[in-house]
Amino acid sequence: MITTRTTNEWLLGAAPIVLVLLLWQGLVSFGYAPATLLPPPVQVFLRMGQQLASATFQQDIAATLFRLFAGFAIAVVLGVSIGIAAAVSPPVNAVVRPIVRVLAPLPKVALYPAFLLLLGFNHESKIMLVAADALFPILLSTYYGATIVEQKLIWSALAAGTPPRDVLWKVVLPAAMPSILTGCRIGLVISCIVVFLAEMITSTDGLGHVLVTAARTFQAVDMFVPLITISLLGLILNGLLQGLRAYLLRGFPSV
Amino acid sequence: MKGALKHLSPALACCGLLLTWQLASLGLKNDSFPTALDSLRAIPPILTDKEALINILASLRRMAIGFALALAFSIPLGLLMGRSRATAAFFNPLLMLVYPVPKAALMPIIMLWLGVGDVSKTLVIFLGVSLPVIYHSFEGAKAVEEKMLWSGAAMGLSAGERLLRIVLPAALPEILTGCRTGLVLALITMVTSEMIARQSGAGNILFNALDMGQYDTVFAMIIIIGAMGICLDAVFETIRRWLVRWSEPQFDMPLSFS
Amino acid sequence: MGVTPIRPGELAGVPLGRRPAEPIIEIDHVSQVFKTSSRRDHTALSNISLSVEEGAFVSILGPSGCGKSTLLYIVGGFVSPTSGTAKMKGKPITGPGTDRGPVFQEFALFPWKSVLGNVMYGPLQQGMNSAKAEARALELIAMVGLTGFEKFYPKELSGGMKQRVALARTLAYGPEVLLMDEPFGALDAHTRTRLQNDLLEIWERDRKTVLFVTHSVEEAVFLSDKVVMMSRSPGRIREVIDIDLPRPRRREELLLDPRYQNYIVEIERMFDDSGDNELPS
Ligand SMILES: Nc1ncnc2c1ncn2[C@@H]1O[C@H](COP(=O)(O)OP(=O)(O)OP(=O)(O)O)[C@@H](O)[C@H]1O
Ligand SMILES: [Mg+2]
Repeated sequence: MITTRTTNEWLLGAAPIVLVLLLWQGLVSFGYAPATLLPPPVQVFLRMGQQLASATFQQDIAATLFRLFAGFAIAVVLGVSIGIAAAVSPPVNAVVRPIVRVLAPLPKVALYPAFLLLLGFNHESKIMLVAADALFPILLSTYYGATIVEQKLIWSALAAGTPPRDVLWKVVLPAAMPSILTGCRIGLVISCIVVFLAEMITSTDGLGHVLVTAARTFQAVDMFVPLITISLLGLILNGLLQGLRAYLLRGFPSV
Repeated sequence: MKGALKHLSPALACCGLLLTWQLASLGLKNDSFPTALDSLRAIPPILTDKEALINILASLRRMAIGFALALAFSIPLGLLMGRSRATAAFFNPLLMLVYPVPKAALMPIIMLWLGVGDVSKTLVIFLGVSLPVIYHSFEGAKAVEEKMLWSGAAMGLSAGERLLRIVLPAALPEILTGCRTGLVLALITMVTSEMIARQSGAGNILFNALDMGQYDTVFAMIIIIGAMGICLDAVFETIRRWLVRWSEPQFDMPLSFS
Repeated sequence: MGVTPIRPGELAGVPLGRRPAEPIIEIDHVSQVFKTSSRRDHTALSNISLSVEEGAFVSILGPSGCGKSTLLYIVGGFVSPTSGTAKMKGKPITGPGTDRGPVFQEFALFPWKSVLGNVMYGPLQQGMNSAKAEARALELIAMVGLTGFEKFYPKELSGGMKQRVALARTLAYGPEVLLMDEPFGALDAHTRTRLQNDLLEIWERDRKTVLFVTHSVEEAVFLSDKVVMMSRSPGRIREVIDIDLPRPRRREELLLDPRYQNYIVEIERMFDDSGDNELPS
């Protein structure tokens, strides 16, 4: 019963993707869109297979992934530690809160030129942009998660002999974990988006760069390949994060 | 007195950040890193330049239209997905594929089809805002207490009425979180799409200045776009607070340990 | 008002020869004033003095909002009183300690730990190695009758089971005083009775001092040596009643015992007279 239900859901979920592909093929086959603007899907996927096997494209993927991970990792470390510090310490809170109020809604891409001018056109500026963009969702949800930690959990731990300085990572951190992971999920998606954009704006490698090069030479096929690649990368990373979440939150109600 | 300080603190933070910037640029003495004062001085010429002003207003207009359309489309879809397993199963995989794609990166392709005009840019913003709003509406609607819906059904509400009268208000805090992420993404998308199209708008001015090496204009534009983001967020936050005043969590209370 | 204070021995038949005991907890002129969000002072406890003998089972009864939980938190060291002092074995209480173990009404189990992990937490904190801590935890889990559920997470347990885990978790680090805040309040009558019996059995075995907050007069009389009755606005102690009933107590016997019935009727009458729970008639 359960298995048929999930297979049904799989089929149901696959349907719109198949429909989109069919529509795409239809538009090309019936001549609504010229192949120069919209290449047939088969051609795109063949090209994608070819590209995935080529060393240069693999290097582009590697460059993108490296920036993505570096930026995301910085954002997680900073976001979680600042978020928790702001939740538990009133002085930190007083400083962090107004700064976050100002910086969080600021569109970070607008800062990208500043990063370029300050950090150069290499990895650093892109990593910085990814980190800046992923930081705030993670910071805010960590903060929120830490402020709603049940006071009695902390009391229980203190009564059981936990030294106050350990309460932070023995109680507050695990109790805020569901919220932190939600923030990480948003941060990850934003990282994917932003690393690609940064590479489109200025870069000599990476998936975004592949797209821009293709656009300049009007190679429609090559424009689709990096887009599909980033979407698959996002899907895989998200799946990994979901797995981690299911493992870390196995005790929490309704993951 | 304390309340006044609280209201002023974001302004203080702004001053602090500008001051840090000023000191850093004085310390670094880098040609491409003008001081905060120089950058502030470069703002009036941009804002008095008629063309630049029209450009910026056009950006805002596109953003508003894209944002509004996205809300009108995404909230009902997200709510429906949250309450109906089949709808969720149908749309989820597709959305999961589309979410991590940078919508502004579709710009070159959409431009090929629809041209460089307003339609392309608005469409891209619409796409950028839709996904977080759908995602959060979905999560919010999914978390609505089943018992509330049962009591709604017992009171004789139809399925549609339940969605509108129970699910929507109950999921509102979560939906608004989505709208906020959407707002940030709308700004990102707006700036980048204009930067890619290189025709008009705030993003275009910013990156043109960068290409031409007019560094104080670059930083002045950063301030302008940043201020836009902050103002929009403040407006949004006011509306949000008013809408969910019944469920406001006590956000101000730091945890006590000892 | 027509309240007749009960003197020891007046209702009870033969006073039991109780061993002379030292006060383990002394609460001395404690007051607690909260600032409400509208910036007004709200007196939750006013001038409370109470001493609890070592090994005694003391229940606190009183209308909702009279400060029972607050009093317990002060003894636990989680909240410090606005004025007055609370002492544990003669030393002022300045913060939480493993000598005083709370059992909260909300269970407050760590959701990220299994039953075993929750119960092991205290012993591990005391520096026990994990094999020993596990052995100790298994012993307590068996004692509260949850053998076989060690790997379960709190979300997978019923309310009564969670309450047992919370009790086991607190017992595991061996506090001298148990602070129980309406621990059985959220349970159905049947589970409640069972847990009361279990608690009494555990208590009769190792005679820990227990401070027990409850809303149920029967529960208080059934379990306690002493019942502290509080009244509201501001929270203060109205009456301390000694319950002289033989131990070990068995519910079937007590229910037929006129002394037991008398205590219940008497205490309920006092609450009715106080007008605390009622609108003026
Ligand atoms: N953090 C707080 N801030 C302000 N007032 C508080 C706070 N905690 C408790 N109070 C007030 O103190 C009084 C006593 O609260 P307490 O929780 O101790 O009552 P209680 O006797 O345990 O009630 P119940 O039986 O309903 O649990 C109440 O009037 C409550 O409003
Ligand atoms: Mg209470």
